[in-house]
Amino acid sequence: MSRRVVPLAVFVALLLPLQSFAQTDPGVRGGAAGAGQPLASVAANNPANSLAFFNHGLEAFEDINSVSGTVAGEPDAGLGPRYNSRACASCHAQPAIGGTAPALNPQVGDATADGAQNTVPTFITSTGPVREARFPFFFNANNQPDFNRPNGGVEDLYTIAGRVDAPGCTTTIIKQPGFATAQATNNIIFRIPTPTFGSGLMENIEETTLLNNAAANANNSFGIAGTFNREGNAGTIARFGWKAQNKSLEIFAGEAYLVEQGVSNELFTQERPLPGEGMTAPGLPNACKFNATPEDLTNFGGVGEEVTSDTVAFAMFMRLLAPPTPSTTVPGGATSINNGKALFSAIGCNVCHTPSLQTTRSSFTPGLNNVTANLYSDLEIHHMGTKLNDNVSQGNAGGDQFRTSPLWGLGKRIFFLHDGRTKDLVQVILEHNSSGSEANGPSFNFFVNLTTSQKQDVINFLRSL
Amino acid sequence: MFRLTALQLTFLFATLAGAQTLPPELAPPDGADTPLPTVVRVPTDVILVRGAEPSASDRVTPLPEEGGIVKGVYQNRYLGLTYPLPADWTESYKGPPPSDSGAYVFANILPAASFKGPIKGTVLFSAQDMFFGLTPAENAKELVAYRREHLEEYYDVERQPAEVTIAGRTFARFDYMSKVAGLHWVVLATQIRCHTVQFVFSSRDPELIAILVKDLDRMTLPAEAAATGGKGGGDWPLCIAGYVRRENIVDAVEPVLKDRKFNPIPVRIVIDKRGKVKHVHVLSAFPDQARIITDALMNWTFKPYLVDGNAVEVETGMMFGAAPQRRKPAASPAVTAAKTED
Repeated sequence: MSRRVVPLAVFVALLLPLQSFAQTDPGVRGGAAGAGQPLASVAANNPANSLAFFNHGLEAFEDINSVSGTVAGEPDAGLGPRYNSRACASCHAQPAIGGTAPALNPQVGDATADGAQNTVPTFITSTGPVREARFPFFFNANNQPDFNRPNGGVEDLYTIAGRVDAPGCTTTIIKQPGFATAQATNNIIFRIPTPTFGSGLMENIEETTLLNNAAANANNSFGIAGTFNREGNAGTIARFGWKAQNKSLEIFAGEAYLVEQGVSNELFTQERPLPGEGMTAPGLPNACKFNATPEDLTNFGGVGEEVTSDTVAFAMFMRLLAPPTPSTTVPGGATSINNGKALFSAIGCNVCHTPSLQTTRSSFTPGLNNVTANLYSDLEIHHMGTKLNDNVSQGNAGGDQFRTSPLWGLGKRIFFLHDGRTKDLVQVILEHNSSGSEANGPSFNFFVNLTTSQKQDVINFLRSL
Repeated sequence: MFRLTALQLTFLFATLAGAQTLPPELAPPDGADTPLPTVVRVPTDVILVRGAEPSASDRVTPLPEEGGIVKGVYQNRYLGLTYPLPADWTESYKGPPPSDSGAYVFANILPAASFKGPIKGTVLFSAQDMFFGLTPAENAKELVAYRREHLEEYYDVERQPAEVTIAGRTFARFDYMSKVAGLHWVVLATQIRCHTVQFVFSSRDPELIAILVKDLDRMTLPAEAAATGGKGGGDWPLCIAGYVRRENIVDAVEPVLKDRKFNPIPVRIVIDKRGKVKHVHVLSAFPDQARIITDALMNWTFKPYLVDGNAVEVETGMMFGAAPQRRKPAASPAVTAAKTED
């Protein structure tokens, strides 16, 4: 037998029959959402008024933005000039508000809401995942990707041109990004919304806890060695977003408000043009800018929880959201789930998907204070190889480095991986296999070393979360 | 200081091959798109935008990460070893770049299509640079012992750590299993140039693992390879942990990092007999960091290191940037009998 390196395509062909999909993903777990409620301490209004802040944040999360707040039913001002959708809850919706991409994509309707005159890009479909788009590289003068100029910023899908509340802002003066060119040149990648349940717990894990966990896992038998993304000023560990690029929930909320809905705020005070827009051209046209900035700000006349800006309210809502409730019996029964949980650790998935980490003392509410967070993540970034690589760098994360996705709530999710490329958990595990991936060891164990029955137990366990 | 990697070559060819005429149906539908005369596509499955990555001050000195499989034989010039892959086994995917804690994946090895056995298995071939590891261990034997001491509760020990001889060199061996998975693991580790070189075999079939272990006798290893040895010397620099100390330095200007400074940056340097830095290997850094650090270190001077009165080359490690919390301080010098010239 010749012992040589097989080409990648041949190896993939060899690997596929190994897993042959004999085990199946039972799909989204039925029953109650098991998510979307406040932490128990907040539900008990401990401390006083915390429940009011949660509910206020929830309302703000649901509010639809219009350009000037003058459209009936769309009370918040600040939408655009560029946007991906019009409310936080439109995209963070599955299986409850605060979650991830829902079954029906709101972005199709967002394209023409209130008279907007956008073309729906071909990668946005009514039953596909909610997506934001990024171009890994800037285009040169010939509309070719310039590999010497990495881009990676969000290219908002839509503009407010033509909207009833954007008079004078037309498609001749503000245009959608060149998605067709980007698709033709393969210079486009996608991201779906990350679920936010339990994110207050994630925010409240000490760096020491994370570093100790990394050290405890360092001498593993699977070839895994991640690192942390750190914010560039104070150097502390960042933890939110697909590449752990955001330090805190408030930064996460403020950036999303600006980037996804076009609402300038106290953290990001100017309107946002597209990446590169404004370098060689005037940038956002004045005719499409209708509001003073920031558009979201502290309500000086407010009382109680209503004094906060939307951004602060969003962050508080996410912070006080309880983690998802797993099932002990569905799918497959308790025996299968428990077996799958044990197998998950035995084959090394738990090295990155750390089952639980302890939070530290919290000033917010007892529900965040010194509790066990069953997040199934080490909050590190890991090389995920060529298949998952998106050629976008954020902070210290390179093109193929991603934060270990927390798995809590997985059973209720429809779309998986950073770009929502699949609905099938078996495929998700297969996508962990590729050149340069730290996850090859555990995923090889899954496909090569487990029996079909054992694989099904692992899948059932994952869908129970 | 930077090398053209196989991946970059792949990209280059993919880019050249990817130039083609844009089909009419792909003409941009919206106003912002303009027709393209030709299309250069971003290649699929190629990592072009990298994070921290390895680099070196010259293109000649062998590096640990440059090992690879040629005609069924893994070869690593830095470690001076060859490992003929077992019959009917093949490399699957390449490993990730060296980590910022000095971990390497040399090869993931799986049964080839021609493999006829009823039960398969996997082989992980890896290494840990002992200058930068997060585990409190001085050598391969201690690293394996630590694995045993901290074995998770869902595994069962099948064979306590012990020294064995493979290909004429000592290895630390440790066997364990998972009852729920029905899987067996055998860990074999030896040390070369202050790197713990490790094989991890896993399978449902202990006999298959036994065959694979036996097959390791076909390896060739440097004379220094040993479960508790492997500290360089002879034709190689002597490797000494924690050698970069005030009392050993004659002249050093600290590199000043600019925009990025909070990622851990492990660096190995080789100091020649005169005390000059002759080689810098940055295991993990962004290009601008690597350039600044390499340029600075190449001007550092140390006191010559003496063994029995003779100056010898020294290989040591140092960290830049914000290092992760370690479980122990840097190890003490590995060769206690030696001394530096006053």
